[in-house]
Amino acid sequence: MNADQPKKPDFSDVVAGHSSTAPIPPEAPPTEMAYTVVSGDSLSKIAKKLYGDANKWRVLFEANRDQIENPDLIHPGQVLKVPAL
Amino acid sequence: MTLRSFARIATVVAACALVSVGCSKKEEAPPPPVAETPKPVPFRITSMDLGKRLDADKKVVAPTAIFGVRDTIHLSIASEGAAPNVTLRALWKFEDGQVVADDAQLLAPTDVAQSEFHILKNSPWPKGKYSVEVFTDTTSAGRKEFIVQ
Repeated sequence: MNADQPKKPDFSDVVAGHSSTAPIPPEAPPTEMAYTVVSGDSLSKIAKKLYGDANKWRVLFEANRDQIENPDLIHPGQVLKVPAL
Repeated sequence: MTLRSFARIATVVAACALVSVGCSKKEEAPPPPVAETPKPVPFRITSMDLGKRLDADKKVVAPTAIFGVRDTIHLSIASEGAAPNVTLRALWKFEDGQVVADDAQLLAPTDVAQSEFHILKNSPWPKGKYSVEVFTDTTSAGRKEFIVQ
């Protein structure tokens, strides 16, 4: 690693949240969406955030086999496909 | 009863009936106006504001684009229209394009709505320029820039 290269800021402790006055649809979306991996993410963490269930990490893994070889190894900036459940 | 008196009575009855019909006609309420079914408005974002605090309606109290290193950054999004389901996504980035957070919420808006995204950090925010881009499903709906100083 080049010592002259400035160190990238660490955003792994960022907590994101949301809410709305609009109702939530009764079912999961029929279409898939994209998710950009951030520092500190893991598949189970993303599954918990998007599906509400960390155990659904395998759904993400299977949908992204073309870019994930090891489910314990994902990289910030990777754009994952998030299929509808 | 003679034929003549019968005819007279019949005339009187017919006249009364006419008067009665005329009167009842006057008492009838006018037909209610035909209500036009409003055309459904497609979902769209009408405004986005950044700020440090939200009110109870999820609106930013004092819009700003300048934050301190310990602030929580709120993005308030006003929308109108209906959609059976729409994904509202906020992609937060640091100046060089580094992703700070990528958050999404799935909604089924029926009318005007107010949505919000927020980010906070346990350690101080690195000073610099940031941006947040909002997507409705996969389409960019707008971008806001802000500074942490």
